[in-house]
Amino acid sequence: MLVSTRRRTLAILVSGALIAAACSGSDSADAPTTTDIPATATDAKPADTPDGEPAATEPDEPAPLEDGDQLTSEGEGNVDLASLKPVAGGEITFGLTNDGTGFDTTGAVAPGSIRVITALNDSLAGLDINADWQPNLAESIIGNDDSTSWIITMRPGLLFHDGEPVDGEAVRANLQAFRDSPIVGFALGAVDSISAINELSVQIDMNVPWAAFPHVLVGQPGWMVSPATIGTNETFTGTGPFMLESWTPGDGARVVRNPNYWRADEGLPYLDAINFKFLVDATVKRQAFEAGDVQGYIGPESEDIVDFLADDATDVWIGTAGANEYLWLLNTTAAPFDDLRVRQAMAHAIDKQFIIDTFRDGLTVPANGPLNPSDRWYTENNYPQFDPAAAQALVDEYEAEVGPIEFELSIEPNASVIEVAEVMMSFLADVGIDGTIKEIGQGQSALTAILDDFQAFSWFQFGSPDPDGDYVFFHSSGGFLNWSNLVSADIDAGLDAGRQNVDEATRKAGYAQFLQALGDEVPMIWVDHLNGVEAAVTLPELHGIGTPGTLPDGSASLPMTNGSFFAWSGVWIEQ
Amino acid sequence: MLIFVQRLGRLIFVFFVVTFVTFFLLDQAPGDPAERFAGLNATPEVIEGIRAELGLNGSLLERYLRWLGNAVRFDFGDSIVTRGFSSWDLIRESLPKTLELMVLAEIMAIGIAVPLALASARRPGSFIDKASSSTAFGLLALPAFVLGIYMSFIFGVKLGWFPTIVDNLPGLNDDPLDNLRQMFLPSLTLALNLVAVYLRLLRSDLIETLQEDYVMLAQARGLSERRIMWRHVLRPSSLNFTTAVGLNIAGLIGGAFIIEVLFAINGMGRLVIQSVILEDFNVVAAVVAILTVAYVMMNFLVDVLYSILDPRIRHATR
Repeated sequence: MLVSTRRRTLAILVSGALIAAACSGSDSADAPTTTDIPATATDAKPADTPDGEPAATEPDEPAPLEDGDQLTSEGEGNVDLASLKPVAGGEITFGLTNDGTGFDTTGAVAPGSIRVITALNDSLAGLDINADWQPNLAESIIGNDDSTSWIITMRPGLLFHDGEPVDGEAVRANLQAFRDSPIVGFALGAVDSISAINELSVQIDMNVPWAAFPHVLVGQPGWMVSPATIGTNETFTGTGPFMLESWTPGDGARVVRNPNYWRADEGLPYLDAINFKFLVDATVKRQAFEAGDVQGYIGPESEDIVDFLADDATDVWIGTAGANEYLWLLNTTAAPFDDLRVRQAMAHAIDKQFIIDTFRDGLTVPANGPLNPSDRWYTENNYPQFDPAAAQALVDEYEAEVGPIEFELSIEPNASVIEVAEVMMSFLADVGIDGTIKEIGQGQSALTAILDDFQAFSWFQFGSPDPDGDYVFFHSSGGFLNWSNLVSADIDAGLDAGRQNVDEATRKAGYAQFLQALGDEVPMIWVDHLNGVEAAVTLPELHGIGTPGTLPDGSASLPMTNGSFFAWSGVWIEQ
Repeated sequence: MLIFVQRLGRLIFVFFVVTFVTFFLLDQAPGDPAERFAGLNATPEVIEGIRAELGLNGSLLERYLRWLGNAVRFDFGDSIVTRGFSSWDLIRESLPKTLELMVLAEIMAIGIAVPLALASARRPGSFIDKASSSTAFGLLALPAFVLGIYMSFIFGVKLGWFPTIVDNLPGLNDDPLDNLRQMFLPSLTLALNLVAVYLRLLRSDLIETLQEDYVMLAQARGLSERRIMWRHVLRPSSLNFTTAVGLNIAGLIGGAFIIEVLFAINGMGRLVIQSVILEDFNVVAAVVAILTVAYVMMNFLVDVLYSILDPRIRHATR
């Protein structure tokens, strides 16, 4: 009984964190999003778009990501490039899909809050144009030879918004509080101890080699707040370019320029203030944008994206890395999905492209696993493709041996998601698999998954720029977070190789092994990478949203239109 | 006097029933807020302590009575989701916006409906009567969420006269012009549905009253048509109209919820929807309690207004 109670407690707590951690990817309202806490996201500059942000505003014009199949921006084509020097001043109103629930860095932070925090915060690490981590607020992040110990050294003279120093003790206190958090601490589960070793440095010792550790410092574990305010929910006393002036739950937040910003000598930030306005309804958002009441917003509907792409008066920014995937989790410990043939048959039966064309206006990309084809860690696998005949053969074989295939799909009450699920059900029915939809409570996805109270589950997740961010959701050591409960030596070995090695080739080989095992074992039914679904639209006069910013060393940072590392410091508006 | 005491008693009874049923239903919902607060590593003792702190220990009746005792002091407990804010903090932020929306909508609706009804009743079958009736039926057929989108598109997007969303709404005292400019479209959207009801109701009562002998007498005495209509016809024709206004004020709460989403107003509607989705039950209970009080109070006031408008009712209750 006690075990059951504690498991439920654990489930409730972690579910809160996971639900809220639509942090990297999605402001889309589809949100049983359970992205990893430290995740960030990217927006790639288009290889085939001639009219990106001009070099005049970006001194280190970076090479675009190898991302030929992703349209990422449009507009700005008729602007005099020479006139596009960043201008200081002005304020904007920016629409967000999700409401904020607070700013406690040791708790589950809702997507709406995360968008606001990106203006208030500078993470310890940032991502460069290749999605590699780089020191950001920290001066250096250095690991030992086997990556079992890391030392973070801060820049001297940094101050929080309240004037307190950002020193080694402050960093230790933040990391320790995160590690100790029952809600989000799992993201630093490999951390053994954290200690301040001098005024500016902190040492973090791991219980296993963790070469990809600095990547988590881009996200929530790397957010630093004034020690006296750690655990405070109603405010965020950070180090970022803006300071929180007001937050009204359910309505929005207003942030104003930080006059003591540590990068003020670079002229940052440009804007005087940002009004974040929570706009739930898609039509309302679009009309507010078209009326000029907001200068940009996140999470347009796919049909709106299509319209805006045809409109030169609007810029559209579509991310790739950081985009969530839509999939069905299969509980591989329960019938009928404990049989590989059934899982393979389902994958064969579903026409992903039909769903993309019908429900996503062709904007998304078919998925065969959690990694986007544009991701540098991506490799192809043998995930079963649409082949009704192959599906039928597998079903016939199983039914002759075991009996009819019936299952329940758990799903949150979201009409647009249910619509997609029903079409997928019809594909399955065509080959004799009988599925029914079981609606669960709003926001109950993670809880239900953690309790293993499902056969199949309609799901949105993943999209970490570094695959290590999704480690616990596939690795057998992930316990209740290993969603499909599949224990696969190949998956574990591949993920461990990616986590523990610095060498890129070794890591890539590890992730190839992981992806291949996912394709062979089919613990999930993959549908699409939601690239086009998670986008931002802006007025052409607003700059810096979807284009690279700069890291403290002057190199280009990844433009993260749909990520938690939204570079608000570099955003400016023509006056 | 007795009738008022009786109605007041009825009001209190309804309040108890509604709040208890709400409390019971919320109690049946899955999940334990104390466990959420306590954290993963919390001992059963710690969880119990938090349960006591949140007022979640004891039987349902005990908890309800404790909640009721606190509620009368406007202490509805803390919001579980937006920690750092009490339920009353959130309501205090939202309630004025919803109230303003409802009041403005009623004023607009009455301001449009009464003159139109008078004009229509004076010349039944005239162009103005036919036009207003047709428009009224058209508006009645349009749900608020459709009407709101059209209004926003025409007056906000295309003409740019009014903002499509309410953002950083200043107080009426601080900046009345900006306040009214921002609230105009949502209030009008909410009002237009009411106009149709009020117009049809008042028009038919006015026509009936116009057939009365005393109206003919007034005409014979040479009183001006305007004076007859406004002073001698409108008041006795307003009983059903007043009923409708009273009932609609309460009904407006529902309509306001939709309008608040359409125009991004941080009112009670958005608050309760958000609280239900996020299972912030303290806030839900608090909102239900406040709305219950508002609803029954409104009906009480309508009863009082009856007796003022129609002395026969007043006399009958003596």
